[in-house]
Amino acid sequence: MEKVIVSFCVIGLLFLQPSYPGYKPVQDVDDFRKKFTVVAAAVKDIKADFTQKKTLVALTETITSKGTLWFKQTDKVRMDYTTPFVYKMIINGDNMLVKDAQKETRMSARSNKLLQQVNRIMIDCMQGSLLESKDFSNRVFENESYYLLELTPTSKNLQQFFSTIVITVEKKDNSPHIIELNESGGDKTIISLSNKKVNMALPDEVFSF
Amino acid sequence: MKYFLFSALCFLAGCASYYKGLTSEALIPCADEIKPTNLNTTWYTASIDVIGKHLSGLLVVKKMPDASYRLVFTNEAGATFFDFKFQPDGSFQVVSVITQLDKKPVIETLRKDFELMLGLPFNQPLRSWQHNSLKYAGIERGGEKIYFIVNPDCTSHGNLEIGSNRKRKVSVSLSGKEPAQPDSILITHYTFDMTIRLTKFDKDVDE
Repeated sequence: MEKVIVSFCVIGLLFLQPSYPGYKPVQDVDDFRKKFTVVAAAVKDIKADFTQKKTLVALTETITSKGTLWFKQTDKVRMDYTTPFVYKMIINGDNMLVKDAQKETRMSARSNKLLQQVNRIMIDCMQGSLLESKDFSNRVFENESYYLLELTPTSKNLQQFFSTIVITVEKKDNSPHIIELNESGGDKTIISLSNKKVNMALPDEVFSF
Repeated sequence: MKYFLFSALCFLAGCASYYKGLTSEALIPCADEIKPTNLNTTWYTASIDVIGKHLSGLLVVKKMPDASYRLVFTNEAGATFFDFKFQPDGSFQVVSVITQLDKKPVIETLRKDFELMLGLPFNQPLRSWQHNSLKYAGIERGGEKIYFIVNPDCTSHGNLEIGSNRKRKVSVSLSGKEPAQPDSILITHYTFDMTIRLTKFDKDVDE
């Protein structure tokens, strides 16, 4: 009897894996990964407006912040939050600058492994290279307009922040459209990009500090 | 010799009790009326400086339907650093905390700071003290005095503080027109280098 119950539980758990309405799984993920790495590399830079929605489920609280995002291959990201608070974050290679209302802080990712990992996630989300990361297992889905990359952290360090990262990528230009950071307790952060401009030859000065 | 005398004076000054001359007195009549209001749900930008290190983020103070409080600190990009729960009776629960902050002294320091900020110790029966020209009202717990300064006109309170027998350890300064939703909160530690600055913002404001 116990075996039957366990079997049902295992089958139940398999069915409980999140599926994505309107998407079908990409069967040959290895083949997809190889092709996607090539096409995603063609996205040299991005400038976009972003809307970030953070939901705290247990607190029934949601905060929506907005700003502008810049990305440039291979290791530069800048996010300027303009409302409802002002905050700037620039990642340029191993270096990072954050500027809040009180202070401007420069950090080296080399001296902080966690920061290095978080930096890498931001950059990899932008260029879709999380599929290559050993820190994540992945599943890939698609519909007519988008690819959906579901990434599950394998390291404990990252698991404390995210249960999954789900990136929706536009098929028309292979650029990210929505980045969803899910936490184990049910809280989530969804970053949606709009007014996106791809490959406009962003100058390095955008990321200098 | 001069140097020795100077050093000795500095040492003695350092040892001087901050609370020299403190005396107990009958409960100040207005104490219960003016005691710090428990805070309402508010979002703050948070800036924490600890021994030369700077950390910024967002702190939400949420008053829950069961009268408990949840304090959640996230970075601006959404990653949650900690989620603390305070019950009105003073009990405390760590709902979640990242490994880097999951250290007893860190959590205990934050627990005491935020409990004071929320005014929770003053839900208990109060007593009063006189210190120089200042009047204090609060409680004693675990060898510490947890009190608020009663302003001379007895219609409002000043800083909220924690002190040992000899040293003032922490003060919380609240400013703004709405006592239950202060515009800014400054938490200052006197026994080591740590300050927490909170500034209220309207999360629903749009461009």
